[in-house]
Order: sequence, then structure tokens, then C-alpha cells
Amino acid sequence: MRTHIAILSLLLMALGTGTAQAHAFLDHASPLVGSTVQTAPPEVSLSFTQNLEPAFSTVQVTDSSGARVDQGKAQISGSTMRIELKALKPGLYRVRWHALSVDTHTTEGSFTFTVGGS
Amino acid sequence: MSRRPRCPRAFAPALLFLLLSFSQASAHCFVGPRFFPATLVIDDPCVADEMSLPTVDWFKTGTIPSGSQWDISAEFDKRITEDLGFGISDVWSQIRTPGGPVAVGFGNLETTLQYQLLKDASRETAMLLGLIVDWGGTGNSNAGIATPYTLLTPTYYVGQGLGGLPDALGFARPLAVTAQIGYQIPTTSYIVSQNTFIPQVLVYGASVQYSMPYLKSEVKDLQLPDFFNHLIPIVEMQMFTPVANNLGNPSITTGTINPGVIYIGSYYQIGLEAIIPVNGASGNGVGVLGQLHLYLDDMFPETLGQPLIGGRSTPSAKPL
Repeated sequence: MRTHIAILSLLLMALGTGTAQAHAFLDHASPLVGSTVQTAPPEVSLSFTQNLEPAFSTVQVTDSSGARVDQGKAQISGSTMRIELKALKPGLYRVRWHALSVDTHTTEGSFTFTVGGS
Repeated sequence: MSRRPRCPRAFAPALLFLLLSFSQASAHCFVGPRFFPATLVIDDPCVADEMSLPTVDWFKTGTIPSGSQWDISAEFDKRITEDLGFGISDVWSQIRTPGGPVAVGFGNLETTLQYQLLKDASRETAMLLGLIVDWGGTGNSNAGIATPYTLLTPTYYVGQGLGGLPDALGFARPLAVTAQIGYQIPTTSYIVSQNTFIPQVLVYGASVQYSMPYLKSEVKDLQLPDFFNHLIPIVEMQMFTPVANNLGNPSITTGTINPGVIYIGSYYQIGLEAIIPVNGASGNGVGVLGQLHLYLDDMFPETLGQPLIGGRSTPSAKPL
């Protein structure tokens, strides 16, 4: 019994210090994940649940042939990442992102949106 | 594969500091865009820094007459290296049998050594090998809650997300399955005083899970209330089939099916499942199982959330 209680006590003591941070989940995006927009958006904006480390977080937007349609460098402020887009034609586009939260946890993902209902 | 970003020479000292200050981690069970939650009955297919405290369950036993059993357990898992993990757990149980004594006490201490065989981000696949050791004689064997002998269970774990399905099946992409299969070997094959053979047992289980966070961030944002975007509905099952050295014992598979739901927070998850026995030998009626699970790598990223060895690696801007 004492062994069991001692182990449990050590575990609880181990929880007593430290600063909490977490993985950066994609909270919402503009255009919305999986959405269809009638007007070509000038940029893609991604909001995460944690602040990002700008040097190690990236985003890329491609058309259905795989060609890059983003331009310039991704702008990262706090928990938001934005990237400007070239003039988009109607079609399907894929957004790929990779995020490093300020506590160094990595997450990644991708989603599509459609311009013009095609 | 990762690479370091290019930078002007003037920024090199600052970058060097940054590199030395960082440890890139994915810790609990992220495989590319897929997050496998810590399942309540079987284990998830990743090594991680995490703690389940507590897990509480109640069910009616499969004995005749049927008893009422409470279990309260705790589990602590720690990465030794990025791919090698160690876990320790124990359970306190109380079993009330009508007309009989109340059995109370701790089960045997259980340790788990696990090695991450594979994490394939592009295919959302994870594989793990483990050795579970239930240390005989460390619990209350006099009350029948623990065994006086040790159990060794080499176990294989796998997780597969279905994110690779075509866009036409988009709403199926949040699905994932996990499974494990192990072979339990007791260190004693026969108890003379009870004239009982101790069987070798196949231990196997699986889960089917639907990730609402994955649906929202990878497939389609339905703009549901935020609470629903944190849920992972799940069905787990675990079975035990004696396969050898079972002379004189009933040769019957026991197990449970556990439908439920897991709520995913930033630093914790909460799971609630029903316990449905697959036959009379496995239990009577429906029980309940609940768990608070803590992501130690998120709660304590600089201390407990680091592997004991090789925890401070270089971050990278991953090529997309």
C-alpha cells in the first residue's frame, strides 16, 4: 500500500511546476474550410488556438494543377497567419499549413476551398 | 524530413540562440493532421508524455451471483527518447458480492515499455510495439484482486486515419481506426494449491473514432457551436481469449464493447463510455467508464513534456 501511495504522490508533485502551452490547432480559416466563395479572396487567413513562432510556421496555396497561387511571404502575428493570393480564377484550391507554436509543438494540415462554384 | 531555413549571416547568432532554445515536439498522438486521442480501454498507437488521473469505472461482474465492482486507476506515461516510452499504472478496486465479503485493494503494478515503429504523416499511420508487465505479488492477491504471479504481454498497436479517402467521401475522412493485439504469458503455468492451470491469453481490441476537430479543420467547417468541434465519438472493444494451457477452465472469450465520446481540450481530454459486456461471463448489464486525461507535453513543455534523452532538437520550417 505504501508503495502505491508513494508513487501517486510523486506523480502529483511532478505536476506542481511548469508553464502551460499547447499544440496550435487551426481554429478557423478565411475562406472557411471546405467552403465555396463567389468572389476570389485576396488572401488566406488562418487563426490558431495558440501563438505561433513566425520563423518556423508556413502556409502555401496551390490550384488544382499544383501550381502556387500565393504571393509574398506569410505574415504571422500572434496566433494568426496570412498570405496574399494572386488573382484566382474559378476552381478548387488547396491550403497547406505547418505551424510551430511558441512552446515548440508542431501541427500541420490542409484543406480546400472553391472559387466561383465550379 | 526537415531542413533549416536560410538566413542572413547577421542574424546567425540570434538564430543559433533560437535553435538551442527550442525542442520541436509533436508528443501526444499527432500523425500529420491526424490526432489520435488517448483511448480509455485500449491504448493509443503512440508514445507520449501523458497521465490518466483518474480513470473510474463501475460495472456488475460476470460471477454468480453478480457483484458490483468499482475501479479507480491512475496511469503515467513518459517518453525516454522521442520513440521510446515507459508507463506505470495501478488500480484500486472494490468488489461487493451479495452475501459475501467485500474485496478491497490495489491490483498489481503494471509497467509498459513501448517503441514507436512508425509515424507516417502523409498516410496518417502509426505503429507501436510494447511489452506490458503486470508485476505479480505487488497487489492484494489475498483478496483476489491481484495475481501472485507476473503476466507478460508483448503487444502490437496500430492506428490508421482515413484522411486519404477521395474528396467525394469527404465526410468519411474524419474516421480513424486503432487496434492492438497482444499475447499474455503468465510466469506461472500451474497453481498447485488450487489445482488450477493459468492460461495464456490472446488480448485484442480496437476502436473506431470520428474526429469532429478533423472535420472542422480538414474537410468542412460547418460552423457548429464550438463544443461540438472538440468531440470525438468513439466505439472501443477489448477481448480476452484463452488460447493455451487452459485445462479445466472454461474456454470462453470475454470482453466489452464501449461506445462513448471524448472531449478534446488544449491540455486535457475527458472521456465517458458505456461498458457493455459481450456475454454473461464478461459482466451483467451496462456499466460506465470515465476518465480525465492530461497532456503533460502541453502542460509542462519545458520539463515533464520533454523526452528524458535527446529532448532538445532543432526546429525546422517544414517544406510543404
